[in-house]
Amino acid sequence: MLVEQASTGSGASGQNAGSLHFQIERRFLERKGGLGLEGEQTATLSRIAIDDWSTLEDRLGVSLHVHMNGGLMVAENADQVAILKAKADRERAMGLSVETIDGAEARRRAPYLSEGIVAANFMAAEGHADTRKIAPAFATAATAAGAEIQIRTRLTKLEWQGASFRAEIIGSEGAFTVGAKKVLVAAGVWSARIAAMANLHLPLFPVGLTMSASERTPHFLPHLVQHVAQRLSMKQTEAGNILIGGGWPSRLHRVDGIFDLSRPAELIIQSLRNNLSVATKTVPRVADLNLIRTWTGVTAVTPDQLPIAGEFPTMPGLFCAAGGSAFTLGPTFARLVADQMLERERDEADRLLAVASPARFDSLNGFMGR
Amino acid sequence: MRSQADITRGMPVTIEVDGQMIDSFSGETLLAALVAAGHMRLRNDQEGQPRGFWCNMGTCSECFVSRLDVTPVRRIRACLITVEDGMRIATRSISYD
Ligand SMILES: Cc1cc2nc3c(=O)[nH]c(=O)nc-3n(C[C@H](O)[C@H](O)[C@H](O)COP(=O)(O)OP(=O)(O)OC[C@H]3O[C@@H](n4cnc5c(N)ncnc54)[C@H](O)[C@@H]3O)c2cc1C
Ligand code: FES
Repeated sequence: MLVEQASTGSGASGQNAGSLHFQIERRFLERKGGLGLEGEQTATLSRIAIDDWSTLEDRLGVSLHVHMNGGLMVAENADQVAILKAKADRERAMGLSVETIDGAEARRRAPYLSEGIVAANFMAAEGHADTRKIAPAFATAATAAGAEIQIRTRLTKLEWQGASFRAEIIGSEGAFTVGAKKVLVAAGVWSARIAAMANLHLPLFPVGLTMSASERTPHFLPHLVQHVAQRLSMKQTEAGNILIGGGWPSRLHRVDGIFDLSRPAELIIQSLRNNLSVATKTVPRVADLNLIRTWTGVTAVTPDQLPIAGEFPTMPGLFCAAGGSAFTLGPTFARLVADQMLERERDEADRLLAVASPARFDSLNGFMGR
Repeated sequence: MRSQADITRGMPVTIEVDGQMIDSFSGETLLAALVAAGHMRLRNDQEGQPRGFWCNMGTCSECFVSRLDVTPVRRIRACLITVEDGMRIATRSISYD
């Protein structure tokens, strides 16, 4: 049984940029000591996610507007090119197929790029998919496979009772309780609150982001476009709109020093200006398009930027899948955590998800009396 | 369609919409002029069904039309623009783009 307080896709899954980015994110390269084992494991998950996305439409039996026509991460000066090259070397060593191409070659493949672009890293598998379709499509497929999904139904209490969990739930027809041997917390930015219901700390922090859409225009941008040194993601939807994002902040509402997750984050106008400025510098022709919509979305980050997926060592039976770039990696987390919960090739799933295991934050729960 | 009682109108203005001339008055929004002339269909959706304006306040972007008398051609929200003499407008009710 899945309980969802609003509707499927009403959270970050329906608000995000829909980028399928498999290149290593720039934020990871900035770490001291580099990417070691974590990098290897993240790359392994990316490789699996590429396969998952390539087959997802067939497996779910619907069009999700998945386009994997390649992704470009662009650079504008020599320092940035050096980062691109170092990044591509590391990625190739991890088995990801990434090539660094010069500005002329980048414009040959992507004629819409500005003359200011001097190089790009190209990865053929990258792309994008339609954010608004994914979660509902998963829900339909799960229902067909026998899952019970209750929307407008909210979990309010979760307790471990020695042999099983007891969940208190409020639905449209009133409150009820459910017993379960295993529970998965997959509540995005709300996951820390669900964990707290079970008396556990879960270090997931909300951040507000900004997204914009232009009016529709004939298709000219088949790729995912990112920038190695600036916050930028661009792509063109099936309907023709250009989606512009890349991690520009919006402002969370606060009540009594607590982030209010019940309200959308507030737009920061300077974020919008900066985002559009990077976009028009990279792909000049978008400057001629009207902006038709800007929205904010809230997602969850962890202290080490890696996602959290797996079983809590301090509370066996309780699983989590939250945080990170969980549009790109979401289908993979779903499959692997399901394998763990159902004890299907469990060792393999544990191995693949080791990098994301909640075990790394176990020390936080050492003082939480049971 | 325009109300008549107790109204002082601006100067008459003529604009071209999809090749036809439409009478309107200075001070009216382009959307008001379109609606008064019966141009409710501003584009077709992907199934070819008619779509028209919705919010009349610049939010929904359903009233986009092309302004042909400026270079380059601009796409404008009809509800945010007042009519000007000689305006040439194309709706997207002819084909889906
Ligand atoms: C603007 C933006 C852009 C992004 N861009 C990308 C991108 O391009 N690529 C990428 O990979 N990732 C991207 N992300 C991140 C990605 O969207 C998220 O990581 C992912 O969608 C999280 O999915 P989720 O299912 O964990 O959470 P959510 O989609 O937020 O789902 C959590 C659900 O839990 C429900 N819930 C909460 N509490 C309860 C309760 N007590 N009872 C019942 N139900 C409850 C909520 O209603 C919600 O529907 C972006 C995020 C944002 C905000
Ligand atoms: S009618 Fe909604 S923007 Fe003009």
